[in-house]
Amino acid sequence: MTRYAMVIDQRRCIGCHSCTVACRTWNDLPLDIIYNPVVTEGAQGKWPHVHRTYTPTLCMHCANPECVPCCPTGASQQDDDGVVWVDSKKCMACKVCVNACPYGMRDTSVLGPRLHRFVRKCTFCKDRRAEEPGSMPYCVQTCHQKARIFGDLDDPNSEVSKLVNSLHTERLFTEHGTEPQVYYIPDLGGQR
Amino acid sequence: MADKVSIYDENGELAEGVERIRTQCYFCHANCGVLAYVKDGDVIKIEGDPDYNNQGGLCCRGTSALLHVNHPARINHALKRAGEKGENKWEQIPYDQAIKEVAERLNQIKAESGAEAVASAGGTTRTDDWARRRFLNQFGTPNGFHNALLCWIPTFMAETVVAGWSPFETDLGAAKCLILWGMNPAASSLPSMHGYTDLQLAGMKIIYVDPRFSETACKADLWLPLRPGSDTALSLAMLNVIINEFLYDFEFVDQWCDGFEELREHMAPYTPEWAAPITWLDPEDIRKAARMYATTKPGCIQWGCSWDQFGPASATGSQARQLMRAITGNLEVPGGDGMPGPALNFITDEELELNELLPEEQKAKQIGSDKFKLTSWPGYTLISNNAKRTWGKTLPAEWFCEAHGPSVFKAILTGEPYQIRALICNATNPVNSYGDSKMTLAALKKVEFLVTVDYWMTPAALFSDYVFPAAGALERPTIVTHYGATDSVMGGRRAIQPKFDRHTDMSFWRMLGLACGQDPANWPWETEEEVYSYIIAPLGLPCTDWNDFVNNIRMYYPPLHQNKYVTRGGFWTPTGKIECNSTILRELGYPGMPTYLPCAENDIDNPELAEEYPIVLTTGGGFMPYHHSEHFQMQGMRYLYPDPYYSINPELAEKLGIEHGDWCWIETQRGRIKMRANVEPEVDPRVVFVPRGWWFPERDTNIDLDNPFGCLESNTNVLTSVDEWDCDPMGGSWANRGLMCKVYKCTEADHEWNAKDKTWSIPGCAKNPGISTDPEDLKHRVLRWEKIPFEAPACTKEVPEGFSWQWQNDALYQDSTQFRLDDSGWLIDPKTNEYVDAHTGWYYVAAENCLMDKATGKKYTMEREEIAELAGIRLYPGQDAPYAVPEQLTWDREKGYARLGDKPYIYNPESGWLIDPATNVYHDAYYGWAYDPTTNGLIDEETGKRYTMSYEAIEE
Repeated sequence: MTRYAMVIDQRRCIGCHSCTVACRTWNDLPLDIIYNPVVTEGAQGKWPHVHRTYTPTLCMHCANPECVPCCPTGASQQDDDGVVWVDSKKCMACKVCVNACPYGMRDTSVLGPRLHRFVRKCTFCKDRRAEEPGSMPYCVQTCHQKARIFGDLDDPNSEVSKLVNSLHTERLFTEHGTEPQVYYIPDLGGQR
Repeated sequence: MADKVSIYDENGELAEGVERIRTQCYFCHANCGVLAYVKDGDVIKIEGDPDYNNQGGLCCRGTSALLHVNHPARINHALKRAGEKGENKWEQIPYDQAIKEVAERLNQIKAESGAEAVASAGGTTRTDDWARRRFLNQFGTPNGFHNALLCWIPTFMAETVVAGWSPFETDLGAAKCLILWGMNPAASSLPSMHGYTDLQLAGMKIIYVDPRFSETACKADLWLPLRPGSDTALSLAMLNVIINEFLYDFEFVDQWCDGFEELREHMAPYTPEWAAPITWLDPEDIRKAARMYATTKPGCIQWGCSWDQFGPASATGSQARQLMRAITGNLEVPGGDGMPGPALNFITDEELELNELLPEEQKAKQIGSDKFKLTSWPGYTLISNNAKRTWGKTLPAEWFCEAHGPSVFKAILTGEPYQIRALICNATNPVNSYGDSKMTLAALKKVEFLVTVDYWMTPAALFSDYVFPAAGALERPTIVTHYGATDSVMGGRRAIQPKFDRHTDMSFWRMLGLACGQDPANWPWETEEEVYSYIIAPLGLPCTDWNDFVNNIRMYYPPLHQNKYVTRGGFWTPTGKIECNSTILRELGYPGMPTYLPCAENDIDNPELAEEYPIVLTTGGGFMPYHHSEHFQMQGMRYLYPDPYYSINPELAEKLGIEHGDWCWIETQRGRIKMRANVEPEVDPRVVFVPRGWWFPERDTNIDLDNPFGCLESNTNVLTSVDEWDCDPMGGSWANRGLMCKVYKCTEADHEWNAKDKTWSIPGCAKNPGISTDPEDLKHRVLRWEKIPFEAPACTKEVPEGFSWQWQNDALYQDSTQFRLDDSGWLIDPKTNEYVDAHTGWYYVAAENCLMDKATGKKYTMEREEIAELAGIRLYPGQDAPYAVPEQLTWDREKGYARLGDKPYIYNPESGWLIDPATNVYHDAYYGWAYDPTTNGLIDEETGKRYTMSYEAIEE
């Protein structure tokens, strides 16, 4: 089986927002929608003893997503490879899934005509990977720092699988039981 | 997404009609590789090139290139002013016509006031600047300038006078320690940051010097948060520690450093304890950093842009850091800092500039060259002559030898030293990028004739008489040779032809040059592709032209520069050594050793100023997603960072009653701007950090002419100083870092930018508007200008005409070539170490004991008589045969070669074959049969009969 996942190496992330803008241009997003914001925490502490972390986010493509079963029209769905996506033709923008997602990673744009609204979210660049075999999600390719790593977690030779199985990784909000499939290598300082 | 044009067909191959072109991003200096997918003459998609230094990565700016090329606010046609200046009324006219009209006006100004009355402003590298210099040199004006003095050039010159070139080629792969100083690669140079992170994870130590807890600071191993503008004091103290604690490389210093004992004595007062109150650092931390760098070898010090922005103390700090590299033995070693030198094997920018066409009397008129000598004609001439004498080639005059930009703006306003009447702005938005913006804006409004070449309607374009549309990175090929100062080449192809009536900058200067009446022979190339092909041709790479080079080679990198000073017998300075006490600086009237000057404004030297303006201001830092003053038009980026924010420590904010997001005024002596507060402990509680570049291009209706596009409202350069005594006396850098300011919250009554915020003066002071160039109460500052008398030792030699004597090494150099006159009476070409005849310039060819004119390829005897040659074989007309002539041949005394019967072939004594000069075909020397390489046999051309190589007939 294939199980797509992303590893985010916070030791490398420098908070440049390239992934955010790249995602916007590739997916041609309206201005009020961001699929993958980079959250900056800090600087915190008392000068000069300060620290700062950058946390790039995106849809966690959970193994047990809350946003799929709650959808009344079946627009919100999950592929066998784990990718969660929304069929815009079936979506009626009721936003039940938007409320269900613990990560706030899906929304509708309020720009444009009301009747054309639908829920948008990251698809791990499903369209891009289908069009160009072997290609990566655009945020992964565009990252100068190679802080985003994408691949098949079920393939023991993939980089994501090696990283998840060798380094300490963390996941966000695991208390919801959604089994998020984005793994963070934290920047603890001093690990170098 | 459904309507996206697919670039692949169902087999995963590129779809029909789609071409993948390797082009290059030009939105900052990293110049990442970009793959452009082009269909029907339009780019339909771009992405990072995975086979380039960016490894497929592209930042916010690069990713948005498609939006840039098609942005609705782009200028697409030549515009002629139709209303009053600044009224924003334009007549769209054909490009050619606009060029013709501008040329007529420039020629008229030249005829009336001299060519020097025309100046040209640039920004940072965005264009083919050699073309601009080629135009200016032919036109006859020395007054071209960029923001060069804020970015690398003074550092380059200060480093060059110490060791012969700037050591900017860091061999990080083998380095154990890296000092990142005054730069923030995590916001300004992402491909480099990737490299630093990889190497750091593999064990390299990073020492980071920055007053701000920047994106890079949070990844560093040792961070020195010093007072803004005190970097020079820190570098002097570090140099002091390295010398006093004997941490330098004894052998290297002994063998290669000239004047080290003088330096030791000179540096003695600059102890860490001396530097502590200036830098706010613990003396032990200064020692720790110096020790870490000097003992964790090999190591690199990476140049940072702020080195050239401290005002008075800029170049001397760069000189100190260059000495740190040198005496620790980190120059030109594996893992250290290499000095590439000029490109010896391809055409340099300097060779494209036609500097020889600018007369000496025009050079002398360069504005600012009487004050800031290191980076203008006086210093450039010494450094460039030395480069020609040692490397054989030199650095470009563009960037490295320019007028002092702020002084040109002042000359527009004051008419001193003479009136500048015309200004051509190419790839710059001077109000935002040059210091003292209010004065700069006043100059743009006042100048009699203003021409702008740009992508957008900038404040400069608004006040222009003509605006020309510029082609962007996808619309032209690009070449990267790092300001023409290195020997590697990278580049990209043109993805599409310029849209609308946009033209590349090179075509602008070329067309303008031709319209001004410049010799068409001096503008032989019509396209960039032709020039770039010409530039790389001497490399002899297996490619036919520029596009072929990009397709198949893309990057030319010679081996790393290591130990060249050993193999070439010296450094590239006049003495051939590391000059601890620089002879060139002394010759220019400056101290030869790094000498402390305080930053422009500080509480130690100006306590009264600090009473009114108690907070230290640092400006100019770059931040994602913008680059300088660019990209504020791009909605997709602007949403990330819609408003200007300055950083303030929570402690200070609390004291001033400022909360996160509050609009505040930041004020210096020169004026005030407003920004929102980013309350974050990323700066010291005594400091505020104000990022650069802000203007509001979206405010394009009902333009306020006092503050067009809000260009003075949140523009950090309103706060910076270009007063003469705040500029570096050597390099001319003006003061961006380490100024004194006050910060207060905008009140309801005082919330909007208003008329009193537009007052300006020379010297910069908002309170006393008006122009006064006589700073009576500032005499103590002006003392920085006192020239240190220098007299070269008396010449002991007889100097022949056309030669100059160099006092440092007691040698004679030919003026026209800068070749050294050897004791043998020959000249020596430093590039190849070949002997050259001093009378004719012909090179000695040892193998044939003759002279050769490299320009024509003709050979001459040692008596300088032309040697006749036919088909590459030397002839001896009128002489006896100088070699044994085989018996079947006859010696033709008249023509000077041996022949077979009456056949028109020439005998080659080296190979034993006869050559037909008409066809270059080989013929055997017995029967005159032609050699046939396809059968490796002979053929009788008269009968068509074939023979083996041993003359046996072949039956067919």
